[in-house]
Amino acid sequence: MSNLIKKDKVIAYVVVSLGAVIMLAPFYFMFVFASHSNSGILSVPPPIFFGDYIVENFNTLIDFLPYFWHNIGLSLFVAVVTTILNLLFCSLAGYAFAMFDFKFKNFLFVGIMATMLLPPFLGMIPTAMIMSQIGWMNDPKALIIPAACGAMGIFMMRQFIASAIPKELVEAARMDGCREFKIYYRVVIPLITPAFGTLGLITFIGSWNNFMGPLVVMNDMKMFTIPLALRALQGTGQIPWGAVAIGAAIAVLPLLFLFVIASRRLIDGLTAGAVKG
Amino acid sequence: MASVQFSNLEKNYGTTPVVKKINLEIEHGEFIVLLGPSGCGKSTTLRMLAGLESISGGDIYIGDELVNDLHPIERNIAMVFQSYALYPHMTVAQNIGFSLENLKVEKSLRETMVRDVAEVLELTPLLDRKPKDLSGGQRQRVAMGRAMVRTPEVFLFDEPLSNLDAKLRGQMRKEIKALHQKVQTTVIYVTHDQVEAMTLADRIVILNQGKIEQVGRPKEIFDAPKNVFVAKFIGAPEMNIFALSNEQMFSDFELSNINHSGMSIGIRPQNLFLNKKEVKGDQISFIDAEVTGTELLGSSLHIECKYQDKKLVVETATIDTSIKGDIRLYFNKTQTHLFDQNSNTIPR
Repeated sequence: MSNLIKKDKVIAYVVVSLGAVIMLAPFYFMFVFASHSNSGILSVPPPIFFGDYIVENFNTLIDFLPYFWHNIGLSLFVAVVTTILNLLFCSLAGYAFAMFDFKFKNFLFVGIMATMLLPPFLGMIPTAMIMSQIGWMNDPKALIIPAACGAMGIFMMRQFIASAIPKELVEAARMDGCREFKIYYRVVIPLITPAFGTLGLITFIGSWNNFMGPLVVMNDMKMFTIPLALRALQGTGQIPWGAVAIGAAIAVLPLLFLFVIASRRLIDGLTAGAVKG
Repeated sequence: MASVQFSNLEKNYGTTPVVKKINLEIEHGEFIVLLGPSGCGKSTTLRMLAGLESISGGDIYIGDELVNDLHPIERNIAMVFQSYALYPHMTVAQNIGFSLENLKVEKSLRETMVRDVAEVLELTPLLDRKPKDLSGGQRQRVAMGRAMVRTPEVFLFDEPLSNLDAKLRGQMRKEIKALHQKVQTTVIYVTHDQVEAMTLADRIVILNQGKIEQVGRPKEIFDAPKNVFVAKFIGAPEMNIFALSNEQMFSDFELSNINHSGMSIGIRPQNLFLNKKEVKGDQISFIDAEVTGTELLGSSLHIECKYQDKKLVVETATIDTSIKGDIRLYFNKTQTHLFDQNSNTIPR
């Protein structure tokens, strides 16, 4: 290896390591602070290593948020159902846009894509009003149904299906006696699992971290999702930072777990179709 | 086994007609090849028969049944695609048996039927493999197996050999021919390769710009093309065809007694000879030409010549690339083809 290449490699490693430290530091400190008292956290310099205040912090968390586990469960329920519905509806719509010719197809597709241009905050008040009108306030349906299908997911599925599934394969299935829905679940779905993995992860993370949605439709503490519940901790006079940190640490665990098992798929899915395979 | 009939069959994409009122009757067990250049409408015709493409006009009958509005599976036909279109996530056995599964054939019977087809196509050792683990020829055979397994009334092949190399193509041609002889099912085969058409077909249908130019047995089409398009399309190198533009040409081809406005004459490169002795028959004539180039193809030589300012090609078994200058080319007058001003053959 020439010296020049060696030097380039060293620089690359240093830059990547620095980036990794910057990205990971907040996570590390979140776990460290979860094991320290408020005074310890607020001391200067702040603690760098793990302490022994973890049980007390957890008890404080449960005192402030008596429905914490319910909130976690609700978040999980909403995220899982939203993800399943998203995968179903986005892949169906993506399949239709990729494989069928129908009237106003391009017009419809552009219309759906245009919804991505609208800032999500614009929908807050109308959403709250609609949910209130139909009696879905403090109901998980108010979070699940509006998020059951999104423009980004439809776009992603359409692109993946168009590039991964030749039209002849669908026609062959038709010749083999499949009706359209059977083609979708017997031929299309098995071939788009990488896109399912990616969209599933993105949707799950998006739903898990969603703050604005629950903020406008959930006002009963028991029906708070986890971001909203943790935010509620910060409106209680003196903020119990250790409890906030342990709550955040618990809340982040499902995502970390998902990432560990599926990060490869996420990267594969995001770059799929970028280059000729 | 069933007959197929196209009656005034039409297909338009928007305002562009791609298939123009085709009429064709295909008999039980016949091997028909739809042959034509790219964009002539042959694949569209096949896809309309398969039910993969809607029809803009006319009728399609399979047997006595009008199938215009039937779903592909209701037509009881099977199709082999150019890209094979095998399901990548299924094994060979699952690929072959998929249509039976859709027809709700009992599992044990299904397995027997798949094994029987695999046996015929020599796929038995490959039944548990996925398509990605197969060679091009093996994939082609799986695609054929998938079509064969449910004993369809009509087999459709859409350029099935165009993704294979020349050697494998020859082998697969023989296998398809043998398969047809074995199952005796009606086959409609689309190709732009005239060798496939000539070797496989009972009858060839030549299509051009959405219209049928000629229907006939391979030999009949080669020997008696109906017009200039067919004459040029069938045969390699293509037939030498040139307008009869001066008296010398009429005299050379002994056509002085014919009303000749706008006429042209054609002769196949294989029917021009350097030696008079090589010409069969007794109506021998000759033309004088000048050699402009040669092309050696191993077992034969193509000699490019100029005759009366027209280009013509001679195919000869004489492997002498040094040939140049003026040459005399002999031919049998009965092997020439005369075309009128509308490019249609003038019967002689």
